[in-house]
Amino acid sequence: MAGVGFRRWAQALSKGKGSGISALLSGCRAASGASKDGLPGPYPTTPDEKAAAAKKYNMRVEDYEPYPNNGEGYGDYPKLPDRSQHERDPWYQWDHPDLRRNWGEPMHWNFDMFIRNRVDTSPSPVSWSTMCKQLFGFIGFMLFMFYVGEKIPAYQPVAPKQYPYNNLYLERGGDPEKQPEEVKNYEI
Amino acid sequence: MADYREAPLASRPKTLDPNEYFNLSPNHRRSEEDRAALRANLKRQYQTQLNNPHRKELIEDPALTRWVYARANPYLTFKPTFKTSLMGAMFGVVPLFVLYYVFKTDRDRKEEQIKAGTLERKFSLSS
Repeated sequence: MAGVGFRRWAQALSKGKGSGISALLSGCRAASGASKDGLPGPYPTTPDEKAAAAKKYNMRVEDYEPYPNNGEGYGDYPKLPDRSQHERDPWYQWDHPDLRRNWGEPMHWNFDMFIRNRVDTSPSPVSWSTMCKQLFGFIGFMLFMFYVGEKIPAYQPVAPKQYPYNNLYLERGGDPEKQPEEVKNYEI
Repeated sequence: MADYREAPLASRPKTLDPNEYFNLSPNHRRSEEDRAALRANLKRQYQTQLNNPHRKELIEDPALTRWVYARANPYLTFKPTFKTSLMGAMFGVVPLFVLYYVFKTDRDRKEEQIKAGTLERKFSLSS
């Protein structure tokens, strides 16, 4: 805010009719830019305040609906429908095409959530319940099957590995002179 | 798609909206015209500023200013009610104590196991 004020002061100096010190001291500033009553204010209670707020936000009085006054910090900001920017016409000549928004249009409280990189509220090809059922049905089924597989393992029967030459008697450091005991790893 | 059902994150497409086809009442038409008039006025203001050959500065958007101001200053219209105090407690105070308790007990249990020598140090990249 200080930066804005300094810029306005510099602009006023360059535009001002007075020269030098007198322009500095007169303290005039450019009269353009938003004034204090163009900013959001407290919750409107009387119909006059409602009409003034609607005019401030460039909306019709019938369309203007403030958030309920329960102290959550909204003030008189209008409650717009929760529609993402994905849903807006892609072929219309918006003033800001990437945001699909016109200049001066009232912005949703959660506008930064509804941009085209983020939350999308556009119609889905199948209804929401069908999508939920399909996704969670599949995930649930796979989880259940993996759980069953943990509890009831099913694999080829295995046994400890059988080695030849009397269980590798010589390789395991057995005495070459002594006759090892016969090990039979089969049954006929 | 006659059985299309809306959901919080899936709106009704304009082509399936009955108002488009059946609502020809003058009230509806008049309100649409009023909205179009407001939009046209804003468009005119913007285009005037945009195409002004003497303009050197950026075009300031008052709606954007209002939005930024509203989002940055919620405490001007804050009132401590039951719901807001509950939110503050749930998100600000409770996690502090809960997380302290959870981490402390977990670390203490691990310390006990290390001291008793029962801690199983598996080869696992996650923990």
